[in-house]
Amino acid sequence: MNALIKFCVAWLVLFSVNVASAQVNIEINTPGVSALKQSMHDRHSQLAEFYGNGAVGLTSDGMIAVRDASAVPLAARQKVNGLVAAENQDRKALYAEIARANGHPEWEGDIRNTFAQRWIQRAQAGWWVQIGGSWKKK
Amino acid sequence: MIEPDTIMPDNTTNHFFRIRIPGQLLTGLLGLCLLFLPGSLWALQVTLNIADVAAPGFSARGIKAVLAQNGSAEFSIAELGFADRTLHGLHLHCAEFLLSTEQIGCLNGKLDSLPGLSVFLNYRVKPQRLELRLTGKKDESWQLNADLRAQPWHASVRLRNARIIRLSGLLPPDGPLPSQGGLNGTLAIKGDQQGVRQFNADLQLDDWAVSDASGLHAAEKIHGKLQAQATRTGRIWDWSGTIDWQDGELFWQPLYLRAGHALQASGKWQDGQIQATQAVATLPDVGQVKLSALWDISNSKLLDGRLSGKQLSLAAGFANYARPFLENTALAKTELKGHADLEWRYRKNATEALLFKLRNVSVADAEGRFSLNGINADIPWHARARSVAQVSFADSELMKLPLGASKLKIQMQGKDFVMPAASLPVLDGKLEITDFHLHQKDGNWQWNFSNTLTPISMDKLSAVLYWPQMHGTLSGYVPRVSYQDKLIRADGTLLFRVFDGTAEVDHLELYDPFGRAPRLSGNLDMRDLDLDLLTNTFSFGNIQGRIDLSVGNLELVNWRPARFDARVASSPGKYRKRISQKAVENITALGGSGAGAALQRSFLRIFESFGYERIGLGCELHNEICTMSGVDGEGEIYTIVQGGGIPAITVMGYNRKVDWTELLSRLERVMQENMQAVVK
Repeated sequence: MNALIKFCVAWLVLFSVNVASAQVNIEINTPGVSALKQSMHDRHSQLAEFYGNGAVGLTSDGMIAVRDASAVPLAARQKVNGLVAAENQDRKALYAEIARANGHPEWEGDIRNTFAQRWIQRAQAGWWVQIGGSWKKK
Repeated sequence: MIEPDTIMPDNTTNHFFRIRIPGQLLTGLLGLCLLFLPGSLWALQVTLNIADVAAPGFSARGIKAVLAQNGSAEFSIAELGFADRTLHGLHLHCAEFLLSTEQIGCLNGKLDSLPGLSVFLNYRVKPQRLELRLTGKKDESWQLNADLRAQPWHASVRLRNARIIRLSGLLPPDGPLPSQGGLNGTLAIKGDQQGVRQFNADLQLDDWAVSDASGLHAAEKIHGKLQAQATRTGRIWDWSGTIDWQDGELFWQPLYLRAGHALQASGKWQDGQIQATQAVATLPDVGQVKLSALWDISNSKLLDGRLSGKQLSLAAGFANYARPFLENTALAKTELKGHADLEWRYRKNATEALLFKLRNVSVADAEGRFSLNGINADIPWHARARSVAQVSFADSELMKLPLGASKLKIQMQGKDFVMPAASLPVLDGKLEITDFHLHQKDGNWQWNFSNTLTPISMDKLSAVLYWPQMHGTLSGYVPRVSYQDKLIRADGTLLFRVFDGTAEVDHLELYDPFGRAPRLSGNLDMRDLDLDLLTNTFSFGNIQGRIDLSVGNLELVNWRPARFDARVASSPGKYRKRISQKAVENITALGGSGAGAALQRSFLRIFESFGYERIGLGCELHNEICTMSGVDGEGEIYTIVQGGGIPAITVMGYNRKVDWTELLSRLERVMQENMQAVVK
């Protein structure tokens, strides 16, 4: 399982634009992962505003959630709901796709947990993250 | 009954009372007992402690009154309960307290729980008339007038710019609470010894803002009008009312609604259940719906409901009231147009019937994955009865593939739907569907059917799908197509006739068809394809001969190849085998800089085409790397075209590991004929 965790971290590093991906020998680059990555990347520009103002936070189970809808104008709250639902759908599909592409669908839970920790570590200062069941501002 | 327990001989006198009052006003009793205090005590500060007061629907504990020598008075109640609400620590300070046999009054009073309001209270004992005025800045006024001697007794409340935030303490703390807004209008009640008998309200709501802590249930800038009447006979209330939402916006997760809604309703209220027997809701841009409902207040539960509407506009109706609940489904980006009649009946915790009549309805996916136009339908669904739905549509499109008009008959019983036969025109052919069965198992929907595709022209199919022009036909019979747990599976074989050969697809599976990364898997086996037709279609340079193509373990994710084991090889049999110089150059170019032809350039220039014995090329794709193979070979070198005849040509490949993306880009360049082939 350590190997799996190392793999996940390495894969996450690949996502990071600051690290040269050539340094990491990643075997996973399936069209499914690429499609999900692109979809999440496209959505991130819309979600960043809501991470920043605390409306949306990163949960400890590798998903995101509406934390404080009051931070968003009333007319935009439905949009936030939609973005969160779509993002969570992609995240769930991403964890499943990585596990499946590795030939180990049963790893999905472990991959999700590893991603959850990494998303929270990489969250920007000022974003809200869920630690130990309660929200904290980074 | 009033029983003084002790009297303290001090400059402060404490009187302890134990009071039991069946439905009487505390103020009257308090006034009465104060009237009979010895005159000498008025020179002192008098403190009265009253243990508790209890009456039906009302209780007060820890009541204390302090009457000061300067004429002021302090009244406090530790706990006040009424109408299932409890208020703590109420405190009234009267700068001037009047007490006589004729009246009791509090002038310039202040209530701690209502800061900023000045209290005026006057109770005239003989006529039993009560006047209570709370006034504040910005012309705020709450005024209660009551005539308690009249039969029936009556009271009215006049509100002027009343700030609703003052009512926060009376509302459930975990629900939406007001942060701003005003009330204007009147409330009037009449009653008898059993309590309130009649109630009227005529209120104008101005600039309300309410929200719960999470912000998921909130409203802002709300303006509206509320009128309500209710009359009690015995234990039954008959009520009616109207709500007219004039301005503002509401978010009640997941719904976002704007002003323009209105509701007229009437019904009964008895024993914790409220019944709306006749209600009409106006939904902006949608139409009017009639409602009836029986609601259990204490359990917040709908016991019985009915909703119906005619000629409802589906564009706004679906977008505003249905789509927000479908965020996680394939319908999340669907748009509807057209009109519908709707009837919904609910009883015993479940929908009992749902009746739809659709008129000229269009359904379109914003991402272009599917559409249906000209839908007319009569769908009378009942939870426990068998019925038949009639559905017709003018045209439709699935994954860019146009489908023609069709009429469907669907047998329905509960959550079980059967369509014995249906015919969908596809270009110049037809998709014949038989034994379609949709049902729910373990809470999940699943379906299956058999189908036959009568031959459709590949010319037409390739044109509508924007593929290179292909010739031939596509047909097939699939004994069973099923859907379960996001997986569509086809048992059987799809048969194509393309490029004068045959093609078979089997073990076809499609997972999560409307998801972000749909996954298609299956096997493709093509036989005796005419290379002349094939290479001309794809502008590859002419090759004459026949070829077999097999693709095993094919997996497309998001419609891009993720894995396959593909091989093309010359078909068995005798036929003319020629390959043009252009085709040789293109095959060589596909091999990249490491590949080359086993002929000298000077020799190539002489001939336009060459003979060959056989062609073979394989690609096993895994993790974006294509492992190449040819007719034969050793190590990194393999033969793609094995020469034969005069003049003969042999094309070799020199690199077995090829990056798939690179291979695709080379193929694209070859197709575009914009690359000067490198031939060694």
